[in-house]
Amino acid sequence: MAANPFRQTVSRNVRDLFRLWALYARMDLNWLLQDLSSVIIVVISETLQNLSSMAGVLLLAVRFGGVGGLSADEVLFMLGFYELASGIGWVLFGNYNVIHISRRIGRGQVDHMLIQPRPLWMQLATEGFMPVSGSFGMLIGAALTGVAVSRLHLALTPVWFLLLGYYLLIHMALQLSQSLLYGSMAFWRPVACEEISSMIIDLNNQLGKFPLFGLPTWLTTLLHTVLPIGLLAYLPAVALLRELGKPVTIALPLIVACGFVTAAIICFQKGLRHYEEYSCNRYKEMGHRN
Amino acid sequence: MKKQWKASLATMRLCLKEQSYFGFFNQLAQYLLRAGALAALIMIWRSLFLQGVDLEGMTLNQLYVYTILSTVLAPMLNIWTPISGWLHDGALLGLYQRPAGVFSQLAAHTIGGWGMRLLCLSLPVTVIALVCGVDMRPSGPWFFLSLPLTVAQGFAVDFLFACLLIRLRNLEWCVHCLREALTALFTGSLIPFAALPWGLGDWLQLSPLGTLAGAPLALYTGLGDPAVLLPAQLLWNLILWPLAIYGFAASRERMVSYGG
Repeated sequence: MAANPFRQTVSRNVRDLFRLWALYARMDLNWLLQDLSSVIIVVISETLQNLSSMAGVLLLAVRFGGVGGLSADEVLFMLGFYELASGIGWVLFGNYNVIHISRRIGRGQVDHMLIQPRPLWMQLATEGFMPVSGSFGMLIGAALTGVAVSRLHLALTPVWFLLLGYYLLIHMALQLSQSLLYGSMAFWRPVACEEISSMIIDLNNQLGKFPLFGLPTWLTTLLHTVLPIGLLAYLPAVALLRELGKPVTIALPLIVACGFVTAAIICFQKGLRHYEEYSCNRYKEMGHRN
Repeated sequence: MKKQWKASLATMRLCLKEQSYFGFFNQLAQYLLRAGALAALIMIWRSLFLQGVDLEGMTLNQLYVYTILSTVLAPMLNIWTPISGWLHDGALLGLYQRPAGVFSQLAAHTIGGWGMRLLCLSLPVTVIALVCGVDMRPSGPWFFLSLPLTVAQGFAVDFLFACLLIRLRNLEWCVHCLREALTALFTGSLIPFAALPWGLGDWLQLSPLGTLAGAPLALYTGLGDPAVLLPAQLLWNLILWPLAIYGFAASRERMVSYGG
């Protein structure tokens, strides 16, 4: 009986994905083994950055016995969740500017990808993998979430863990799709939009850690849909702490994330077609970028 | 001397123009980001105040003014010259080929770069704040003495970070992370020291980073004591500038760039 060609393709792709993840993991480990001092400096600086980015809101919560409708421990949970989710995203897509895709597009480096004997989606899914040097944000997030859970005496059921995983996926989908969606503008405006993915991620990182309770309704709606900052940590924290399984807290993030992912795929493909026609030459003969 | 000034002014003008090279959208996105962060922080202060939290003598207007000024004056309160990026990509070499000091060229580049932001973000934010009824008057004249001291100290701190970058063999990302981490909390640009728990603010306000943004903002809003903050700023200027000059001269031979 002839083998199903679709099944063959799928199994080959899955095999290639795991092979590439293993390759990038080995490269990341090699960096650690060959240049330990640099890795230690990277780890310390990134850890400090992660901690200090949360410290402001947390100190306010401690000082005033809570902030934005959440107690100090609930704020700790929210911040831990944010770090955990963005840390997992960083482990999977942090390397080689995959998450900051507008840099690669704007610098004309998509050429480098198009000549590889692998589909573009597979390269984007694997190149950013850095499980060794990039995992410290994730570990800090997991530790903070654990501490908060224990202080809050939460009842940890299988449903709770399922929903935790669900919101982690939603967080990553929103971050990555926004980076791709806005980053696609670099196909048309390479110089002006080179840093746009970084900007949108910075915006999420800055504002996503604030509890949003007490804002006017129009602003709350805006921050949970068009600019989905509230879906990154605030709504998941409220859902996991107080409103477990409430339909709107499950459906809204999914709908918004699906919308952003669809828009990102459409815009990226359109941009890619433009790139294939016009390309983007930013490098001088001497190797400097203009 | 007059020639040097003319050259510096010409550099500032060039840098002001350069800000528009990356297009309107790039600028707009940056300013929206800052304005969004400012709005979020203001909302937090407002919600705290509405909760009836004891702010220990701080008024809501003081918190508003502190937060608004930290955005309006941000480039002066936390000086970032282009030196880190230029060390990384090799553009710094160009400064040595010109008939002017490296420090003065970097200062001119930095100050020139402030213009667009002051015009497109700081001015509208101040006007909006005034229209919304925020009382933006300073609580005393000491702020106007503190701000130049902050700017001078900020340049010294930036050059010291550049020395660190050279010593760390151009690990630009690490120094960037380290600096972001330190400046986010310890300069007092995000949260007034008076609002920190456990008396942390009393110590931080006198530290070399704490006197950067914290001192002028506290003096403007009346949350700080000029008899303590101004001497501290003066002292750190006197300590950090010789360190920066010596450190930069000692690190010069170690500069390595990637290019591109």
